[in-house]
Amino acid sequence: MPALTRYTLLSWATVAGILIVWWAVTALGLGARFHLPSPGDLAREAGVLAAHGYAQQPLSAHVLASLKRTLIGLGAGLAVGIPLGLWMGMSRTVFAILAPVFSFLRPIPPIAFIPLMILYFGIGEFSKIFLIFMAALSYVMLHAVSGVRSVPGDLISAGRNLGLTRAKLFLHVVFPAALPHIMTGVKTATAISWAIVVAAELIAAQAGLGFMVMDATTFFRVPDVYIGILIIGLIGLTLEFVTRAIERSLLHWQGR
Amino acid sequence: MTAPITLRGVGKVFAPSARGQSPFVALDNVDLAVEAREIVAVVGPSGCGKTTILKLVAGFDVASSGSVMVNGRPVAPPGPDRAVVFQSPALFDWLTVRDNVVFGPRHRGEPKAEYLERAGELIGAVGLAGWEGHYPYQLSGGMRQRVQLARALINRPAVLLMDEPFGALDAQTRSRMQELLLRIWTAYHPTVLIVTHDVEEALLVAHRVYVMTRAPGHIKSCVTVPFGHPRGVDLVGTAEFAALKYSILKSLWEENT
Repeated sequence: MPALTRYTLLSWATVAGILIVWWAVTALGLGARFHLPSPGDLAREAGVLAAHGYAQQPLSAHVLASLKRTLIGLGAGLAVGIPLGLWMGMSRTVFAILAPVFSFLRPIPPIAFIPLMILYFGIGEFSKIFLIFMAALSYVMLHAVSGVRSVPGDLISAGRNLGLTRAKLFLHVVFPAALPHIMTGVKTATAISWAIVVAAELIAAQAGLGFMVMDATTFFRVPDVYIGILIIGLIGLTLEFVTRAIERSLLHWQGR
Repeated sequence: MTAPITLRGVGKVFAPSARGQSPFVALDNVDLAVEAREIVAVVGPSGCGKTTILKLVAGFDVASSGSVMVNGRPVAPPGPDRAVVFQSPALFDWLTVRDNVVFGPRHRGEPKAEYLERAGELIGAVGLAGWEGHYPYQLSGGMRQRVQLARALINRPAVLLMDEPFGALDAQTRSRMQELLLRIWTAYHPTVLIVTHDVEEALLVAHRVYVMTRAPGHIKSCVTVPFGHPRGVDLVGTAEFAALKYSILKSLWEENT
């Protein structure tokens, strides 16, 4: 059996193992059923949620609400963060001006800004999207800067030697050479954006998966809490697969 | 007609990198000339400034004193008339072999049909026919240097500058690349300035070999290589070659004491 299939099989075995242990624990009555519903309970409740939705809204509305906030915030963050990071990488001056702001902001968990965002912008869409925007921007920017700085000097020299203007040198040498770092930034920013949207919705939202989990907890609808968390996890996983697929196709020339 | 490359009284001083250090004199009063259609090698102990000479001619760096002339004019900023083959592969990893080779003419807006034809010919000349669509990660170290050679030659440079071009290759690949360079010279007669630490390589490919002192580097001697072209790598087995190699090595050993 090829190694890849063997390892894939092992991963599936882990998933199956967790399901079996979970099922066994609930079937034998080892855990309080209220806190830990059985797989069967969850499957039934998932059917109910799929048919009737949650809080007068279909399940898809909650998923879409969270995804929309994430993708808008992330998209805007990448659109601003990548060019800004490239500029900071190219220019010591720009870096010197902007670095202190972002170096200070980046280590602060974005969630710490949620109360301030609500104070500034209220509990509407903008505060959540802005928070994601700032987080995505600061992470992708960091990687774009290091991407530019890691371009080998000989590669720049080769471009100059072949007669490229400054603009062409940037477009056809620096940018593609920095792309692997930028894509790492995009992957990080995507994962962080998804984590932040859920956290923001936990605190202030009328729809979305984070809202659903928080609301279900308040009303002791424990199976719904689990289902919400499962959906959050599955979408997070899907986002990672998608960004990895984009990375592989953009960076096929790395031969990985 | 003036020589493609003329260095007269060239000095290069690097500013100290830290406070309290004194400036580093890399080159001191270097005189050097490369005639048209000539391969000239520069050998010297490591750190003697031989790569600095190349950088001055390429325009990557500026001389502190003296004059660096290319085709009778003071040296200009980097440009394809002085195409460089780097020691590191320095290829554009996201482009195929063909796109790497045509990179210069394409981005300078030259006619496409013309440079594509030249690329096809040069890729064949460096022995990479059939590899046009491959990416650098799919090539061996020797093949990558072949791509660099084609990428430089497609610009029809006045001089070809080679900075330890085969230094990172294993011995067998290196000798095949030296043979390739000799074949390329026989076919196109480019003017070549090659910097190397390998005395055997210098004697094998060059018409003349400049021997440098250790830093601050200046020219210690210039050896005219008496072997005619076309040459092959079997030249290294002759007694005359061995004697010449020994005399240059001895001159370099003096620099280490």
